[in-house]
Amino acid sequence: MIKSSPRIWTDRPLAFKGLVVIALPLAVLLGALFSLYLASSAETRAEDDVRRAFAIQRDVYQVHALLAEAAAGVRGYALTREDRFLAPYYTSERDLPVTLTRLEEAIKDETVRPRFIELLKVTQAKRDGLRATIALTQSTTQPSTQQIERSLIANKLALDAVRTEIDNIQKLESVVLDERRALVDDVRTRFLALTAVSGIVGLLGSLAAVYLFSTGIVRRVSKLEGDAERLARGERLEAPPEEADELGRLGQRLSRASALLREREDDLRASEERFRLVIEQVRDYGILSLDKEGIVTSWNMGAERIKGWRTDEIIGQHFSRFYPAETRDFQPDKMLERARVNGTAEDEGWRIRKDGSKFWADVVITALRGEDGELQGFAKVTRDMTERRRSEEDLRLAREEAVAANLAKSEFLSRTSHELRTPLNAILGFGQLLEIDEDSFSKPHRDAILQIAKASRHLLALINDLLNISSIEAGAEEVEIEEINIGQLLEEARALADPIVKAAGLRFDIDLPCANATVQADRRRTMQVILNLVSNAAKYSTNGTFVRLGAEEANEQITVFVEDDGPGVDPANRSRLFTAFDRLGQQKKPNSEGTGLGLALSRSLVESMGGVIDYEPLDQGARFWFSLSCNVVPRIDPQPVQ
Amino acid sequence: MTSQLIDPKEILARRVLVIDDEEANVILLRNLLEREGYTDVHCLTQSSQALASYIELEPDLVLLDLMMPEIDGFQLLEAFSRHDAADEFRPVLVLTADTTIQARRKALSLGAKDFVAKPFDVIEVGLRISNLLETRLLYERLR
Repeated sequence: MIKSSPRIWTDRPLAFKGLVVIALPLAVLLGALFSLYLASSAETRAEDDVRRAFAIQRDVYQVHALLAEAAAGVRGYALTREDRFLAPYYTSERDLPVTLTRLEEAIKDETVRPRFIELLKVTQAKRDGLRATIALTQSTTQPSTQQIERSLIANKLALDAVRTEIDNIQKLESVVLDERRALVDDVRTRFLALTAVSGIVGLLGSLAAVYLFSTGIVRRVSKLEGDAERLARGERLEAPPEEADELGRLGQRLSRASALLREREDDLRASEERFRLVIEQVRDYGILSLDKEGIVTSWNMGAERIKGWRTDEIIGQHFSRFYPAETRDFQPDKMLERARVNGTAEDEGWRIRKDGSKFWADVVITALRGEDGELQGFAKVTRDMTERRRSEEDLRLAREEAVAANLAKSEFLSRTSHELRTPLNAILGFGQLLEIDEDSFSKPHRDAILQIAKASRHLLALINDLLNISSIEAGAEEVEIEEINIGQLLEEARALADPIVKAAGLRFDIDLPCANATVQADRRRTMQVILNLVSNAAKYSTNGTFVRLGAEEANEQITVFVEDDGPGVDPANRSRLFTAFDRLGQQKKPNSEGTGLGLALSRSLVESMGGVIDYEPLDQGARFWFSLSCNVVPRIDPQPVQ
Repeated sequence: MTSQLIDPKEILARRVLVIDDEEANVILLRNLLEREGYTDVHCLTQSSQALASYIELEPDLVLLDLMMPEIDGFQLLEAFSRHDAADEFRPVLVLTADTTIQARRKALSLGAKDFVAKPFDVIEVGLRISNLLETRLLYERLR
């Protein structure tokens, strides 16, 4: 049954299978029990028949016995006329109907029944005969012997008839009895056989069910167990079972879970592989992993490039071998300890390559911890900073050299100006003495003395400016930055510069849209620059009409400007305007005085305060400006002082 | 000269010591002093001899340059003040081409009574010289 259609059986639910496996042999055993019951009831019935047959025989004998005794009694009475002989007759009359009634109920067999009817008749005839004999005896005081004899003979014949019938019945009954006995035996044998067969079939059925159970379900359960174990180990499962019962479905689910797991594992592996490749291919960073003790467990291309070891040479080595001998004994342990405690440890310092050469490394060690917080190892990222360090060093040296050169230059200028002043002191001093005595000289001598004095003073002005620039550039004098009100400052400047501008025949304008703004600057230096620019404008604006001094504010900056409508500056000379000894205006105004250092000095002054100075041409004229950082304070209306 | 307390002749008779390594300057100062009428002027271009001359001459006024080879003016200022008694007023006028504020402060703090930057105005220097001598005379008179 199982082999011919496995799906019909295997697809059934387990409950059904269990029911079948248990109920089938149970049903067979029940059948056997029932047949046993049937057998025993059939036997009982057969035995009852036998017992009834015996009872019939006994009752038939009793009828005979009663009749025989009654006949003997009646015969005695007829012969003696003594009543006491009649006692068996009465007993017979009393008991016979009962016995006959019993017999009538008992005799069912069709073959015996006619005989019984016959027996009833002959019994009745016998009883009638006996009653007739008794009546004959009683009716006549002295019956004739003949009569009695005839009556007795008749009785005797009647009894014989009864006897014959009884014999017939007995014969028939014994045949019936034999048949019943045979039937009982037969039934017993048959049912015993049936019971034995049922028992054997039930036993075999149970065995078959157990076999089925063990070879089917148990086999599949153990397969499932194997699958579950493989799943736990992450191995691939065999093809999912096709059965549709619970076990089959469980197997299919396991299989699906395995497929899902495998898919995710594949994704993860692919992503890990990508990540590994990325790490591997990074060339600018040495990325390696260390175990808890600091042994190298992975190594990328960048590490190989920076440090020189190949992967197979370095795996399994302690990372302390990257450290130079001076720090090897303590620094690696210190780094790991710091990473353990803080999560990460950074360091910059010398490290050793495979070939023994040193390189400057920037190192970050990060502790790697699992989800449970347990330390798994460390990740170490190393960058070769040798080049950067070298360029930083170069830059630092260059800066130091530049500063030293600048200092030397300022020192040189300062010294030169000092050395120039000393002889100039004699020249100017004697020149002054000669001027005092000019009355005692001729006109040509007086002119010569004037030229000496003039040239000497010009030389002195040059030296003073040079010394100023050098002392500013050398930072010899402190810059005193304070908050200055720009309106006030420009008014002061106008007062100071007014004579110069007027002397040049120009109008002096003030343009102050931000009179209340303040600027962060050194008052003395700022004033020096303003005066310088204004006097330049007055000096070089040969065909102009005005000089305009002003200030404007934008982006937290104050820009102070000086404009004129003179000839302006040739664009070709713009880049040299603020460098020392470029006295451009000289070409246009041969008589103008000045050292040519004014703008260079102004630039030094502005830059010393963190500002910017520049020039821009106007359509007609020139505009010089410088800007300084400022703070705008809200306007506070002060009470007039006077 | 503007003072009525001191006779100008008395000032001009006072002893002035000029110390400067630059000969032209020494000549200029001598010329200036002699034009003013000073009669007792001593000049030096060797700073190494300066202390000896100072002790020997006991000048009423010293005109001192600062930047000199061997011994500079600062060292001499220290030496002079070590030599002089605490209650002595013997003025030193510093004449120097070092115009920095540092030099000015240092010289004055070491005992110089006045400071003039080179190149100087001869008239101004002449006035400062007579003023310093007048102060010295007044001081002497008070003692």
